[in-house]
Amino acid sequence: MAENVPQPCPTCTTGGLCQGKGKQTLREGFWSNNPISIQILGICSALAVTNKLENSLVMGAALIFVCVGSNLLVSLLRTITPRRIRMIAEVAIIATFVILFDQFLKAFYWDMSKTLGPYVGLIITNCIVMGRAEAFALQNPPIVSMVDGFANGLGYAVVLAIIGFFRELLGSGMVLGVTVLSPDWYTPNQIMILAPGAFISLGFLVALFNCFNKKDEEDKKP
Amino acid sequence: MKDSTRKFLKDYLYTLTYAVVLALCCSVLLTGAAHYTKPYQEKNKKAEKNRSILEVLGIPVESDASTDELVELFKQNVKQEQVGELPVYVYSPPEAAGKVKAVAVEFGGPGLWAPIKGFLSLDANMETIQGIVFHEQEETPGLGGDIVTPAFRGQFQGKKLVDAEGNPGIRIINKKDLADNEVAAISGATITCNKVQAMLNDVIQRILAEKQKNK
Repeated sequence: MAENVPQPCPTCTTGGLCQGKGKQTLREGFWSNNPISIQILGICSALAVTNKLENSLVMGAALIFVCVGSNLLVSLLRTITPRRIRMIAEVAIIATFVILFDQFLKAFYWDMSKTLGPYVGLIITNCIVMGRAEAFALQNPPIVSMVDGFANGLGYAVVLAIIGFFRELLGSGMVLGVTVLSPDWYTPNQIMILAPGAFISLGFLVALFNCFNKKDEEDKKP
Repeated sequence: MKDSTRKFLKDYLYTLTYAVVLALCCSVLLTGAAHYTKPYQEKNKKAEKNRSILEVLGIPVESDASTDELVELFKQNVKQEQVGELPVYVYSPPEAAGKVKAVAVEFGGPGLWAPIKGFLSLDANMETIQGIVFHEQEETPGLGGDIVTPAFRGQFQGKKLVDAEGNPGIRIINKKDLADNEVAAISGATITCNKVQAMLNDVIQRILAEKQKNK
């Protein structure tokens, strides 16, 4: 893989380290190629942990951390990693970051760790992380890979936060545990915090994102 | 040796070395993290157990109590003692002046999917059940997992460890007109109920045996 000559980038100050691809990478990961709403990846955890906004935020933070870390390492090692075992190497790196985050939660945010249960550990199998390492970090230099990891993690985190916000608001009348819709006049819609609520809200959100992303829609047409 | 063989071996060796070095680096990192966070994690686990004991003994605990508060509350109200060979947690608050309000014992055993552990709290004479909590269980959510619901656990309150004829044992069954040592089972969770019944009866046997000895 031939390295491109670094070009000065008008929008950022990393001195061309991101090869002028920083902004585009950020935009793709976060918006036009959003891992959840466009690629429909990693929706298992997106459905499972979004019954509260707080859970969604922590899960989003975890994914950003893991994506940035694993993309950086995979990218740094990309020239010396033997091709045959690259996937195993990626999984080992990803698992390391995930377990680090899990240990941190267990030590300092015990309640959150209990609520999220196995889903933090399951980030290892999240298609987004592996997908970015395989599709992006293996072909790109470290800084821009980090940007890509951050953008995709952020794309995931924001979608989760939106779903979590609406599910908590409609399902229990609260935002971050603070009652917003008074029980005097609002009857919490239990279905929103149960599994069907997750599917319904994710469906609506994907539809909404696709409406905004018409250009992307056209690209997909044969 | 042929050149191609040599290259193959070289590649093979490189791959192996790479894998070993990467695995070593990852494990060193994780060992370090585990070592550093261990004291905090153990403290959390202990506090969690304390919370279950406090809850089963009927001591009010704020749901957002910190680990330090839990440990402190536990120290103030609960004493760890032995009844014969059976370790028990005795609730005797400072204001009760040595009077025992409740006694908790741990029980446990295999569940349907994974071990179940919990605490049973009894009155001072160890005859009547005051409460029950399960602090470790991975039963089927919605079926066996419902053993943690207040509806199921609440049934145990006031039940006796022996039946009307004096035979020891609690029974979790499906029928009308439940006796003093019977609670209603969860439909669809027969195996879980049977296993819980077995582990409760195991601890009840031990309690009664110790009481017999002390007579």
